[in-house]
Amino acid sequence: MLGYIVRRVLATIPVMAIVALFVFSLLYIAPGDPAVVIAGDQASLEDIERIRTGLGLDRPFVVRFAEWSLQVLSGDLGKSMFTGLPVTELIGQRIEPTLSLMMVTLVLAVLVAVPIGVLAAWRAGGWLDRGFMALAVAGFSVPVFVVGYLLAYVFALQLDWLPVQGYTPLAKGLWPWLENLILPAIALGFVYIALIARITRATMLEVLSQDYIRTARAKGLGEGAILFVHALKNAAVPIVTVIGIGVALLIGGAVVTESVFAIPGLGRLTIDAIVRRDYPVIQGIVLMFSFVYVLVNLVVDLIYTALDPRIRY
Amino acid sequence: MDRRTVIKGLTAAGTLAATGKLAAPAVAQGAKVLKFVPQANLANFDPIWGTQYVVRNASQLVWDTLYGLDSKLQPKRQMVESEEVSADGLTWTFKLRDGLKFHDGEKVLAKDAVASIGRWTNRDSMGLMLKAIQKELTAVDDRTIKWVLSKPYPKITYALAKVGTPCCFIMPERLAKTDPFKQIDEYIGSGPMRFVRADWKPGALAAFEKFKDYVPRNEPGEWWSGGKVMHVDRIEWVIMPDPATASAALQNGEVDWWETPIPDLVPVLKRNRNIKVDIADPLGNIGAFRLNHMHPPFNNVKARRAVQVALSQEDYMRAVVGSDDKLWKPIPSFFTPGTPLYSEDGGEPLKGKRDYDLAKKLLAEAGYSGLAVTCLVAQDQAPLKAMGEITADLLKKIGMTVDFVATDWGTVGQRRASKNPPGQGGWGMFHTWHAGADCVNPASHIAVRASGDKAWFGWPDSPEVEKEVAAWYDAKSLDEEKTTIARLNKAAMEHVVFIPTGFYFGYQAWRANVEGIGNGPLPWFWGVKKT
Repeated sequence: MLGYIVRRVLATIPVMAIVALFVFSLLYIAPGDPAVVIAGDQASLEDIERIRTGLGLDRPFVVRFAEWSLQVLSGDLGKSMFTGLPVTELIGQRIEPTLSLMMVTLVLAVLVAVPIGVLAAWRAGGWLDRGFMALAVAGFSVPVFVVGYLLAYVFALQLDWLPVQGYTPLAKGLWPWLENLILPAIALGFVYIALIARITRATMLEVLSQDYIRTARAKGLGEGAILFVHALKNAAVPIVTVIGIGVALLIGGAVVTESVFAIPGLGRLTIDAIVRRDYPVIQGIVLMFSFVYVLVNLVVDLIYTALDPRIRY
Repeated sequence: MDRRTVIKGLTAAGTLAATGKLAAPAVAQGAKVLKFVPQANLANFDPIWGTQYVVRNASQLVWDTLYGLDSKLQPKRQMVESEEVSADGLTWTFKLRDGLKFHDGEKVLAKDAVASIGRWTNRDSMGLMLKAIQKELTAVDDRTIKWVLSKPYPKITYALAKVGTPCCFIMPERLAKTDPFKQIDEYIGSGPMRFVRADWKPGALAAFEKFKDYVPRNEPGEWWSGGKVMHVDRIEWVIMPDPATASAALQNGEVDWWETPIPDLVPVLKRNRNIKVDIADPLGNIGAFRLNHMHPPFNNVKARRAVQVALSQEDYMRAVVGSDDKLWKPIPSFFTPGTPLYSEDGGEPLKGKRDYDLAKKLLAEAGYSGLAVTCLVAQDQAPLKAMGEITADLLKKIGMTVDFVATDWGTVGQRRASKNPPGQGGWGMFHTWHAGADCVNPASHIAVRASGDKAWFGWPDSPEVEKEVAAWYDAKSLDEEKTTIARLNKAAMEHVVFIPTGFYFGYQAWRANVEGIGNGPLPWFWGVKKT
């Protein structure tokens, strides 16, 4: 097992190298010029050129890529062209809100979606099943920002139960932290819940048709034990796979959710950096997210071994 | 007691039971903290290096200026106690007020002002003019600055007071010695608020705290002049990119003041009895149809005039601001309505009924061959997107072919700098707007300049316009200035330097328990109280 983990971690190196080259190249050829944005509307062409030179943007691709790669290898993601702050500092400032949002969304989604999927499979074809699956379709269809606006309108503006926007660090208290995350987590989790619920239902239906489930019923086990102990455990592998894949959905969805709810997370940092063409920040965040996603997939693969003892690496 | 407080209380009790820690109170300092939603992200904080308006607006809290403009656009002393100018107009001597301090406790000295002026003169258009005629800029003693010029520059105090960016903010010498094309890395000033660096999250939050040692002037505050008396202890700039979120936050009392509500949301805010809405800046904005004078079709003045006689400012302004007639007016001028130098001389082509037949005739006389006009339209800037759509329709109506390039502002900014022909990465036209504060006279009004290669994007070339700009700088009285501006406006209209698409205002909105919010080209925080 340890050998497998080490091999997987080592395998991230070429993956990250490819991601680094890809994102750097993409930004290099993309239109837009950070020097123009920095210089402002009133600047002359000479001013823009001087700023571009000061930022090193006039150097060849190979030189810039080599320099950045060496920096990254030494743990330095560079400095923002706009703020002058280290990219690691900027990421450090914004990581807690994004992680909090993703974690709360993940927990909420799993706690809601899995039981829904199980119940829908248990009562397949019935009104419960149809109702849940209709909700799942709605979850896929309605964009995150629409759900976000509706939630904010109802629960914040009209009912005044929760705040419209913002983020409070966990260090300032559990409820203030959670209070700001409830609506964003529901908005972001909507499509995630839909996805997990449908996969859970599909895999549960397959498992519930197996002989050992019939045997369990014949032995007199209660439906609860059958569904949540025997069946769910055997259906868990695909569910966990989808949860892992869905982390990418969360990362993408966090960008929109953070904008709608004014959460100062990495999603907004990414959007701001893209609009401004703040290359070091964009590169640093993409690298970081890629690394996180690779790790998540590793964790998912390891969880398989806990769920299914037949799986061994 | 409201529902959120009840829920909070119950949950706090639960949290206390579970964790032994009460949720932190959120309202203890509410009366002294002002939460402001600015027009844009404060991504950097060097007002000389980065000339965005949002940087200037934040900088005015932290850094002071030698002079400041009042509501009549007249420069008034701010850090300066007195000034003298020699009879020949070549030597200016400024004396600083006593008792000025920087946020690090150091006294503000003349050498700080000298270094700051030096940094500013490397980036600002008026500053560059002054630098070109500067013979000496020195600190005579701790409070006296001497500036010797080789020719008179009557508008020197205006240059030091203007709100057009970059403004001449006074920094400690060690910061002011930073290369003007590189950022400063400390934010120490002598303004009424100090920047709380530790709380700065670029793109999310910027915080300012009252500077206890600030000595405001004795006069009442008026725009950028007079006493800057702060009535709040802390100002938080909460960056909210989504206007619907900002609107909801304002309605919910989570923020106190929103600088730029979009027109669509203003009716909702106006219906809320806890919110006040008013025009933000009486100097407004001038929309612009910027043409490329270097390449066909708009390298021909008749082709430019064809657009000018067909363009309907009402169409553009309704697209930008909606149906609220209080928010716009037609403007047959390049200068800001309601200001002393405003002139409509030469503006007849923009008045009256639009003449598509004349436009087509002018295009034919210009030899227009059907070449596509590459229109760069920024989709991420609502006014520009709206204007772009009107333009596409207008150009087609007068018989032009349109190549509509829907892109983002960053790409427009890059591509408009290209002098290549439109088919090779260049462009035919783009839209922008100019703050009315920058269009009160030629000093900050780079868009009206027609110095060819050295002009702003589009590169109009009109010696007649430039002659009048030079005459304005040399004008010795207001009447003389008005005469030159009238001639300048006429010459610029005839040459079609660019086409104004209309004059429009924006709103600002704030909670009813906030008092003292005035209007102006910047949000003024002095005098603002929160009850």
